[in-house]
Amino acid sequence: MKRAAILTVASAGALLFTASASAHHSFAAEFDRALPVTVTGTVTKVEWMNPHARFYIDSKDDQGKIVNWDFELASPNGLMRRGWNRNSMKIGDTVTVTGHRAKNNPLVGNASSVVLADGKKLFAGSSIENEPAAAPSQSPPSQ
Amino acid sequence: MTIRLETTLLVIALAAAASPASAQWPSYPTANVPRNADGTLNRNAPAPKTADGKPDLSGLWEIYLSSIAPPPAPGQASPSRSLQDQADGSGNQLGIEPGGPPRDPNAPPRATFFDIGANIEGGAPFQDWARKLRAQRMADNQKDNPDAHCLPMGFMQLHGHPQPRKIVQTPDLIVIMYEGNQGLRQIFTDGRPLPVVDENLQPWWYGYSVGHWEGDTLVVESVGFREDGWLDVYGSPLTEKGKLIERWRRPDYGHLEIDITVDDPKAYTKPFTVRVSQQLTVDQELIEFICNENEKSSQHYDP
Repeated sequence: MKRAAILTVASAGALLFTASASAHHSFAAEFDRALPVTVTGTVTKVEWMNPHARFYIDSKDDQGKIVNWDFELASPNGLMRRGWNRNSMKIGDTVTVTGHRAKNNPLVGNASSVVLADGKKLFAGSSIENEPAAAPSQSPPSQ
Repeated sequence: MTIRLETTLLVIALAAAASPASAQWPSYPTANVPRNADGTLNRNAPAPKTADGKPDLSGLWEIYLSSIAPPPAPGQASPSRSLQDQADGSGNQLGIEPGGPPRDPNAPPRATFFDIGANIEGGAPFQDWARKLRAQRMADNQKDNPDAHCLPMGFMQLHGHPQPRKIVQTPDLIVIMYEGNQGLRQIFTDGRPLPVVDENLQPWWYGYSVGHWEGDTLVVESVGFREDGWLDVYGSPLTEKGKLIERWRRPDYGHLEIDITVDDPKAYTKPFTVRVSQQLTVDQELIEFICNENEKSSQHYDP
């Protein structure tokens, strides 16, 4: 539902923002909105560290070969304020991740949705929501 | 990022739903603040005073959701709000509520975290080179924003940063600790003059700041900045010729107004003034943020 909302807003040409849990870098500096990915795999490592929490999952690629993905989340402080902690995701969890691929690495991504095998969502939200879908023109004056 | 009740409920609900939140320091109740009957912060109570009778700006402050982004296009609902309202509570990783600061018809144009000139008619009054530099910084997806490399982002970006900041006020010194990239700022109110800006002065990321009181307004002047400053995420420049004048007011217990005048003739054709509004937040604390402990994003910057 959230993805659908994001796409709807983006396709309407609206600016797309929410509170940035980590303003560390621009989404578009690292990731490509034109390269959405959906990956299912097993968590091999979790790095609950700054400036972005990261997790790694083993997944099969198109040829059936096991590859290890590196997914970026928001920063731990932002995730913590939303009720998550360093033990919210466990090694061995099977997760389905939707997000966007890095521009220069096919196995690095930004996770906008992480869903456990039982359907429970982890870490909702991603830095893609922090900024405009496209560079804005001069904003209209208003108060 | 508006009323504390909703945030508190949201945080509690998310904590309950998401994971067993043990007694974390960041959720310890704040003592000695005025509260409503339901336990929420009474933002409209009188502003506290220090022993010497000055308004006490001390506290943990956060911005409003609406001040992160430029305003939505005319006729469109705030996309921030639409995402905030998602049923699963996603879209806002901070638990800061939607909404904006109190209306004030006399307020200067409001700065946003992304764009200091977002609400200035025609935008900030850039010199030509500064306009081009900002355009290049935007075209590069802000990959050179100091914050993207775990370097200090300057206090104007920190004024609008979504993560909270703590003000500690003493008679002679005001310290601001920013959660965002562990920013730290000192404002001397002991009467010392600003340093002379010449070739001998070491430029500082946060500049040199002195303040004095004019009635209930704290006036802070800052000089001695680096030549390559970023006033906002889009990269509006600040140079070594720049002077920032801030006028701080705490009109009541729960609200802070900061009017900032940017006087940088190298980067702008004339001085301009913008407002940043913040709101007090209680029952939480700053969370340690050490940017360089695992910085891997910059390996993939490829604008």
